[in-house]
Order: sequence, then structure tokens, then C-alpha cells
Amino acid sequence: MVSTMRNAKAILITLLLLNSLALTGSLGAMAQEEEPVGELPEDIWSDDYIYQNFPWYGNDKLQFNEYHDYFTMKARMLQLANANSDIMEFHEGMPGGINDRGIDMNSVSYEGSYYRHASPWVKITGGEHGVQGGECNDFVGDCGNYADRPDVMLVGNHHAREWMSYEVPMLFLETIAYYYGMDGIDNDGDGLYDEDPWGDADGDGVLDDDGDCLRLNASNQDFNGDGILCGPGDLGVDEDFDEAWITDLVDTREIYLIPMLNVDGNRYDREVFCPDPAWESCSGGGWRKNLRDNTLTGVTPLPDVSEDVDEDCDGVDLNRNYQFEWGWPLGATLPLIPGTCTPSEDERAGVSNNDVYTGPFDTVDNDGDGKINEDHVDGKDDDADQQIDEDWDGGNSEPETLFIQDITEMNDDDGDGASDFKATLTWHSYSELVLYPWGHCTGCSAPDEAELIYHGAMMAEMTQYQNMQSSDLYPTTGDFCDWHYGVHRSFCYTIEIGTAFHQKPEDIKHIAVRNLGVPFYMMEMADNPVERAQIGIENAQRAQWITSPENMTIPESGPIPINMCVSDVFPWSNDVNSSHVRWRIVTPTRVQSDYGPKEWIEQSWQDSEFVEVDNETCLLNNGANGTLIVSHIDVPDDLSGELHYKGMLGTQSGTYPFEYPASGQYYAAAFPYRAPFGNIIGAFLLFFIVVGAVWGGLGVALKIMMDSGKDKPQLGKKEAQN
Amino acid sequence: MAKGSDQFGSRVGLIFAAIGAAIGTGNIWRFPRMVGANGGGTFLIPWLFFLFIWSIPLVIAEFAIGKRARTGTVGAFRIFVGRKFAWMGLWTAWISTAIGFYYAVVAGWCVKYFTLGATNGLENVDTTDVWNAFLNDPSQVIMFQFIVIAITIMAIWKGAKAIESVNIWMMCSLFVMLFTTLALALWMDFSDGSLDGATFMFTVQWDLLAEPETWINGLSQSAWSCSAGMGMAITYAVYMRKDEDTVLNAATMGLANNSISIIAGLAVLSAIFAASPDPLAVVTGGSSAITFLALPEVFAQAPGGAGGRWLMMTAFFLGLSFAALTSMISTVELCVRNFVDHGIERNKAVGFTAAAIFLLGLPSTFVWIKMDAEGVAFPEFLEVQDHIWGYGLMFSGLFIAFSIWKYGYIKWRGMIEDGEIEGGLASFFKYGMSGFRDDFINTGDNDLWVPRAWDFIMYFAFPILFTVLIVSYFGDLISSFDPWYSAFNPSNPHGAGIILLFWGVVAALFIGFNDYVLTRRPVYLGEGHWITGLFDRSNWEMRDAPLFRNVPEGAEASIETLPGGDDPQIVEVGEVPEGWEDVYGEVMDAELA
Repeated sequence: MVSTMRNAKAILITLLLLNSLALTGSLGAMAQEEEPVGELPEDIWSDDYIYQNFPWYGNDKLQFNEYHDYFTMKARMLQLANANSDIMEFHEGMPGGINDRGIDMNSVSYEGSYYRHASPWVKITGGEHGVQGGECNDFVGDCGNYADRPDVMLVGNHHAREWMSYEVPMLFLETIAYYYGMDGIDNDGDGLYDEDPWGDADGDGVLDDDGDCLRLNASNQDFNGDGILCGPGDLGVDEDFDEAWITDLVDTREIYLIPMLNVDGNRYDREVFCPDPAWESCSGGGWRKNLRDNTLTGVTPLPDVSEDVDEDCDGVDLNRNYQFEWGWPLGATLPLIPGTCTPSEDERAGVSNNDVYTGPFDTVDNDGDGKINEDHVDGKDDDADQQIDEDWDGGNSEPETLFIQDITEMNDDDGDGASDFKATLTWHSYSELVLYPWGHCTGCSAPDEAELIYHGAMMAEMTQYQNMQSSDLYPTTGDFCDWHYGVHRSFCYTIEIGTAFHQKPEDIKHIAVRNLGVPFYMMEMADNPVERAQIGIENAQRAQWITSPENMTIPESGPIPINMCVSDVFPWSNDVNSSHVRWRIVTPTRVQSDYGPKEWIEQSWQDSEFVEVDNETCLLNNGANGTLIVSHIDVPDDLSGELHYKGMLGTQSGTYPFEYPASGQYYAAAFPYRAPFGNIIGAFLLFFIVVGAVWGGLGVALKIMMDSGKDKPQLGKKEAQN
Repeated sequence: MAKGSDQFGSRVGLIFAAIGAAIGTGNIWRFPRMVGANGGGTFLIPWLFFLFIWSIPLVIAEFAIGKRARTGTVGAFRIFVGRKFAWMGLWTAWISTAIGFYYAVVAGWCVKYFTLGATNGLENVDTTDVWNAFLNDPSQVIMFQFIVIAITIMAIWKGAKAIESVNIWMMCSLFVMLFTTLALALWMDFSDGSLDGATFMFTVQWDLLAEPETWINGLSQSAWSCSAGMGMAITYAVYMRKDEDTVLNAATMGLANNSISIIAGLAVLSAIFAASPDPLAVVTGGSSAITFLALPEVFAQAPGGAGGRWLMMTAFFLGLSFAALTSMISTVELCVRNFVDHGIERNKAVGFTAAAIFLLGLPSTFVWIKMDAEGVAFPEFLEVQDHIWGYGLMFSGLFIAFSIWKYGYIKWRGMIEDGEIEGGLASFFKYGMSGFRDDFINTGDNDLWVPRAWDFIMYFAFPILFTVLIVSYFGDLISSFDPWYSAFNPSNPHGAGIILLFWGVVAALFIGFNDYVLTRRPVYLGEGHWITGLFDRSNWEMRDAPLFRNVPEGAEASIETLPGGDDPQIVEVGEVPEGWEDVYGEVMDAELA
């Protein structure tokens, strides 16, 4: 009886659902047809959604109207982990043991030098056995390890003052905690289910897949005030994701979420360095590094008499303290002698001469061969002893970076000797950028550059941030992503979120929402970043097009432009050697066979570069917006014939070529003679010369002929003379 | 008048016959295309230059040779260069005739298009479909080929007088037709606001003028279009009256030829420029395509409604047909003349030649009718024929130049032997080089005295230009192959190998013929029918072959000083050479000679 009633109820609900679906659909269609002033948010969504009330409710911190501090954040992490103990487990630091480099570590090893906290983190994984039923890792201290699940590391707050960089991971954690295991929630209360996931899911170039934001009147379309109408973080954009997809991801991935790596620095920044409100006291700067006591370590000659933080000179930039290509001069600065360091007042305003201190040089003979620092970490065997990177120059000197190093290197569930992390993300602020390796060199490219660009572009599209190579922003040394990618081939991204270090509280929510899709994307691609990128590039590549002869516009004179529409996620290189239109001019021979087929002369192929057309988009074959690039083909005006051409795109990592049209074919476009046919005065002149010579000559000849016919006797006379 | 000799009735007759021979499809369908492809007015400069440097000097030489030898090409070379070189005349005759095999087919196309135009068969049709259907229907092509040959036979059956009247009539009609087309074309071009066709045709593009290719193309157009060096002028000079001026005739013929080219070029270009959005793409396209595909489309836009369209199509294709027919006449006559020279009756020679041209032209009508990349049918067998024999003409010209060089040398040697002059290069320059000009051109008959420049042209410019043409032609041909040596694979019908193979075989054969067919003949001395004793060598004896010169009354001039002139077997028509009666028992019918 009960079961029948349930069934009847279910049917009723389904019917209602279908009804509302149809109704909304037709309303939407009508609204779009009429092109009206637009609707108001309350016409479409639930109040909770409009006011951006997260469904887990709670205080302003939980609603992201106010910043967490270290303590409230940790408490919330613990609370969520306890409430979702099947998929989440809270940790602080690691128990330790003998690490990958043979050094005995313990739980104290990872505590910050000043406040003595180890970084708090949450291990997230679901599935049948959950976060506690998998293989146990004594070093790391968790039992949620599965050989067949890719590991994803998500790290916030390397830099103390970048507060949004732990708020975004917290929203991510809240989201998983709330939605895991749910099916088909109507997140925005519009009666539709899972209709607008993150990013441009249907590939039409519009983030607002269900078009509800676009239905609003213009004044409501830029909810977050970033100037982008219906961009990420605006009402109705990517607001109704698929909960089942989140559940699937959690069940098939191991996530290591470390929202606040630099607890020491963050506490100092909040509690001491930038008095509340920080966005006013440290309007342009703040505390960046950890709290390493540089004088205590003897780096400077003067003894450190106080255990207090020397605000002028102390601290190491954690994101310059990883071992890969550590310490090389790009971007690193030394801790300066007390008295020469930038005063802290200036640092609050963002001026400092030692903010990117890499940490001390390593003075240990790491491999015990009697030599010091003979093989620094760069992936190469510098000293030719068959061991790679075994005696580093420095880096990973801090408890925080050691923690990252050990959690990375001690995670090898499948026992293949390599770290399990193939996808890593670190949040920073600010600049609205997605950065991919390398950071340590300029004008260089990573081995998987095309694939790195692809995923970067996908996340950049999702956030409407700009995707670029890290060193194109500025060169770095020993940063997180270079180390992860360089040492472990992990697809690592640095995302620079927001527009300030200490973002104002009212901006926390919409910036966090705007960036929420990114960690999920990282989770998704973590199973095989290279293959996923290659398939994605392949798809993007298919959607791209080059102007076909039918659509070509040939100008009255000058070069003929050939347009190409390239996908934003396609990592094409604008170097003429990689990407170009390959073309040749084919003209009829100047002497055609009198009776045979038309004969052509083919000039040799040439390459002509592509340039990006500013402020112009184009529609890709899959309906999405692409970037318009154009190549100007130098076809002389005074030729008539055929232009044979094809687009050839190379990626920034040197994959070459992607051909348009494919595989050895080319387009042939007829082009007309475009030069003037001549000038009338010159023509008259030549006409009179030629005609004078030919017809005049003929006239003279005929006259002589006629005359000689008349006076034959004269001929005889001439003959006689001869 | 020597008994049985034949001659044109008037000087105008000769001029018209020669002009008719010179003006062919090359003037009407090749010239406008060359102008288009070689920079409009730019092309006219080399084209005109080489008229005076190449075509007219060579035609002067031909007229002079023919007028003195009074025989066709074989006899002319036998007399002028010597017995051993009669094969050069055969080569010249063969090249002309071999071209005639397929030229009759081409002339048939022109006639077909005249009939189509005259019956409005080119109105509102896809011209490509019409062309493809026509070319793929051998019965049609053969029928028109037959019509062309029939008209040609009728024109030459009766000899010079008939040739003369047909040529005068056809050429005058051609002028009318072309002027009609020109007027309509200019009207078309002018009515769209500018005479851009004419402007283009007379505007020089200086950068193109600096290109060697423009000059080479100008030279080849001038050489081919005037039929200079083809042996045609030698043949028609046979019928010259005694007192005619070779130089004036040559100049008139060359200038008239170029005049027609200008008219045809203006008409075609104006019409195409008026009607086509990209006229240069049309005009530089394949040759058959422009004439049979593009022009009917262009003419369909002629002014004056249906009447104007009909007039333009009909006039143009009738003019084109006449141009082709008169060239065909000279081709057949060139061959026939050689038979008649050797004692074969004219009607037999005409019949045989016509039959051969018809039969050997048949493959060109239906073998290898292919489709090109743009869906236009073309006769590949015909094209290959053209490919093989087209440049053979150059060697005919070279042989004519050779006869001039040889005469100059012999005359100079003779003067030295007579003790009149010293030897040495300077002496040859002074006395040898001018030998041919002094003795055969600047005779009392001419009003125009040919200066010494002519000697330099024949001795220096000619061999240089000849080499340039041959080298550039074969150079381009070979370099268009990859690898280059594959051009020499004789099984490739478009390569250089097949040309050299055919030329080699023909030249070897003709040189072999020289002593057994051309200058000597086998005479049967055995009993009974010659078939019965064919293989018994003792029954056969080689005797000198007779050669009958067509010398009109009062035109007798000595040939004894010529290398081959001192030959008792060379007689005038009406005379009976020694031993001739043995074979035929009677004197040949002088009326038909």
C-alpha cells in the first residue's frame, strides 16, 4: 500500500515536472522571440538563488559574505569532514616516516616555524569503500587510497595575503559536502534540472547554456559588476550543475584539498601585519611569505636577538621554494641584511625588495658522494652519474613546501615509483589569469605545451580569465607548478583569481562562485590530461575553418585576405613557421596548346603568416565563438589565375600541421585580373604606331604595286640600268 | 608561254593566294589569346619587330627560290641546294602535309560552328555541352572534315586560276566578316562605358616587355602566323608571272597578315572585355575553349537583338572557316605541286593527296577524345600530332636559310677559283654573303631594293633566333617533366622523346629516299610485267628522275649556276627529258600539269 502510494506520488511529480518543463520552455521561446526589455530575476529563479543563499545556510562565513580565518576555516573543515565521514577526512600535516629522499620526518616537521600549525587539509574520495576503506598510507596518514583512482592536489594560499585563495577551496569543499550523492537538484529554482553546468557545455560559445541570464533585462545581466554581461559569477550563469557528475567525480578521484598552505603567514597577515580591515590597512600589499626567521639561520651576519618576526627581512616565498630550477636568477631575491630590507610600511602598500626570497642555499651533500650541489633539480643528469637531480642547490627548505613535496612523493598507490598526482592546481590572487608551465624560462615551451594550453584555455573560458604561459606574466624560479610539472609531469595550473589581495567581503561570494567550476574541471581531467587534451584539441580542430573559395572576398586591389576561425582552446602558434597559409599562384601558360586542354604553370608554394584580428569573433563549425585570424596573400593585381591555398596550424608545443582542408588537399580559388587594363592615351599612341606600321605599310606596298602596274616601261628602264 | 605552264592571272591573285595561305586560324584564334597572355600591347612590340626581322625576310627568300626554281619544295631544294638535298624539300612538304592531316579536322570544326551560328544553334545553349557533344560524335566531325577537303579539292583541281579566284573571293569575304565582327565588338565594348578591350590591347606593360618570354612568344606567333619557312611561298611563287616583285609581295603578304591579326584581335578582345567579368581569365584560357566555348557566349550578348547575335556569330565563324580553308588550300597545293613536278598528272595528284589527307586525318577525329579537368572535351590524338609536327616547321625554315648560305658560299668559292677575289672571312663578308640577294632578290623585277641588312638577318639573326626558339621550346618542355629525363621517354605522347623519335625516323627515311625516289628512279628493264621480275635485281636500273619546271612565257631564267641546276633531267613543262618516253611512252598532259 505504502509502495503504491509512493509510486503514484512519483508519477504525479514526474507529470508536474514535465508540465513545468514544457511551460518554461515555451515561455523561454516566446521571450526570446519577442526580444523584449527583458525579465527580472524574480520572474525566473527562486529567492534563495537570487540572493545567492547557499543551501547549507549558516553564518556569514559559511555564506561567504565574510572571510574565514585559520581557526574558523579549520573548524568548518573538521565539521564537514565529520558530517561526511564516508567521503571526507580531515588532516593536519602528516605523521611522517622515512620520506622519498630517505629523511626521517615526523608530524612536527610540517609545522610552521612561528605559530606551529601544520597545514590543514581534507582528503576526499567516495565510492563503495569511501575515504576510510581503501589502502592505508602510513606516511600520509590516510586510508582512502586506491590504485585506480587518479590523485588531484588542490592547494590554496601559498601567499599569506591572498585571502580568496583559501575561500575558493572552501566553497569547493562546501559544494561537495552538500551535493554529493544527490541527483538532479534544481539549484536555481527555475523548474529545470541540471540545465546549466560549468563552462560552455553545449559548445555554442555562450557560458549561459540555458540562456536564462540572457533573458534578463540588461541591468541585471552583470550581477558581479565585472563588466561582462552574463559572464561567470553572474546570476543564471553555470548555476545548475549536475550533482550526479560531482558524485561520480568524487567516487572516482582522490582529492587532496589543502586550502591554506601558509598558515603562519596568513595568521600573521591577518592578526598583525594588516590590521582589520585589511583591505584598507594593506590596500596594495600585505604579508606574502611564510615566517621563516632568516637571521636565525645565519644567512645574515648579525645575530638575531629577538624571536619576533622581522617584518623587513624575514620569510620565504613558498612559491619560489620548490626545488625544480630553484634559485636561478629569474625573479629570486636574497634576504637582505637588516637595515637594507624594505620597511614594512612599504610592504603593506605592496613594495618590497625581498618578497620573492627563494630560501637558503642547500649546504648538504644530499647524495653523500663528497660533492655538494653537483646535480640540481632540472630533470637532467647534470653530473653524468646515472642519477638525476640527486644533489639539489636548495629549495623545499620550508615545512610548508616539504609538506607538499612529501605528500606528493609519498603518494604512489599503484606502486609504479611515480607520484600519483597528474593534475594539480594552486590558487593565487590576483590578476584573473590561468597560468601554465613553464615559469622558470622565457621563450621556452613545455613538452606538453599544446595540452597544457588546452586545459588552461578550458578553465580560462569557464572563468573568463586569460590563459597564458606563467613566464609570460613574469619569470619565476622554483615555483609550485614548475616543480610539479617538471619533476612529476603533473598538469599543474596556477590560477590568479580576483582583483585584489584582500578582496572586500562583498566580493568573496561572486568571485568564489565564478571560480567554482575550475577544481571540478581539474578533477575531471586528472585521469588522463594528455589524452583528454588531445581529444579536445582534435574536436576543436575539427570545428575550425578556413575561408573556402566560395566565401572568399577578393578586394579590388592588394593582398587577398584569407580568414581562419580558430577555437580559443586550440593552442595555435602565431609563429609563421608553425602556422601559416601555404599558397601558390597558378596561372595559365602564356602559350597554350592550340588544341589541347588548358595548361597551367604552378609557382612554388609559399607560407604567409596569420595575424589575429582584434575585436572580431567568428563562429566555429560547432557553433561556438572562435578567434578570427587572417593571412594576407600577396597576389599581384595584374595576374589572373587560381590561388591554391591551405591553412596549416601548428601548436605552441610544435605539433604540426593541422591542415585545412585536411591531408594534402588544398583549395583553389579563381582570382581575376585587378590592375587597370591600361590608359587610353598610351593605347592611342601605340595604336597609331602599330596600325601605322602595319596598315600604313600595307597601303604603301599596295600603292607601289599599283603604280608599277601602270608604268611598266620604267621597270624595263630599271632593268636596263641593272 | 611555254606549252603547259600555269600561272596566276594577275598579281593580285598571287597576293591573295599568299595572304590566304598566311591567314589562318592562328590569326583569329591564336593571336588574341597571345595578346591576352602576354600583356596586351606589350606583345605587339616583339610581334611587329619579328615581322620585319623574321617573317618577311624569310618569305622574300621563299618567293625568290620558288620564282627561280619554278618547282615545288622538293625540286626547289634539288635545284638550289643540290641533288643530295632534295630530301629537305620532302621534309618541308611532309611537315606541311602532316599538319594538313589534322588541320582539315580543325577547319571542319570552324565550318561546323559556322553552320551552328547560321542556324541559331548557339543560342541559349551551354556551349560546353555543344562542344563536347560535337567532339564526341565522330560522324559529325568526319562529315565536316570531308566537306573541308571537298571544298579544297574543288579549289585546286584546276590549278592556279581556280586557286586564285577562290582565294580572292574567300579573302574579300573574310575581310567583310571580320570588319562586321569588329564593328559589333567595338559597339559592345563601347556601350559598357569604356573601350577597355582595345585599351588593353594597345597598352604596354613595361615589366613584361623586359621578359624574354614575351619576345619568344612574339617571335613564334610571327613565325607561325605568316607561314614563313613553311614552303608555301615557294609553291605559290611557281605560278608567279615573270615580272613580279618578290619583295613587295612578301611585304604585302606579311603586312596583310598582321593587319588581319589586329582586326581579329580587336574584335575578339573587345567582345570578351565587354561581356566577361574577368576577361583575362577567358582570353588566356585554353585555345579551343576560347574560340568554341567563350566566344559563342560572348557573341550571345551582341547588340542589335537576335539579328545582331546572328550576324556576329555567323560572320565570325564564316570568316574563321574561310581563313582555315584558304590555308588548307595552300597546304594541299604544296603537296600536289611536288607530285606534278615529278610528272604525275595533276588530277591524280590532287585525288591522291586529298584521299591521304582525309584518311590520315581520320584518327584525329575520333581517337583519344578526352575530357580535361574543367570538363571540356579535347582531341588528344590531334593534339599529339600538333605537338610532334608543329615545331618541325622550324627546320623547314632552317633548310631555306641553309640554301641561302650554301649559294653564297658556292658563289664566293667560284669567284676565288676564277681569281676574281682573295679568300678569307672579310672577303666572304663582302662577296659571299650578298650572293643570294644579288642574284635572286634584287633582280630587275623589283621596285623595292633589299638592303644588306637582309644578309645579316639571314646569316646571323636567323640562326640565333632559330636556336632561341628551339632551345626555349625544348627547355620548357623538358623542365615541365619531373624528373626531367622522363621527357625523353618516347611513349609519353606529350614529351620531347616522341618528337625526336618521329623527326628522326622521318628525316632518316627521307634522306634514304633521296637517291632512290627523289632524284633517281628505278626503271624496269625485264620481260613481262614488272611485278614478275620484282626481286631480280638485274631487271632494274636506277636512272635520274626528271623534274618539270613550271616556267611561264617570258619568265625563263637560268638555273645553271645553281648547285643542282646543271641537270639534263630538269626540264621545263612541255619538254621531254631523256628517257622519259621509255616509261610512259608519251609526253605528260601539259594542260593538267
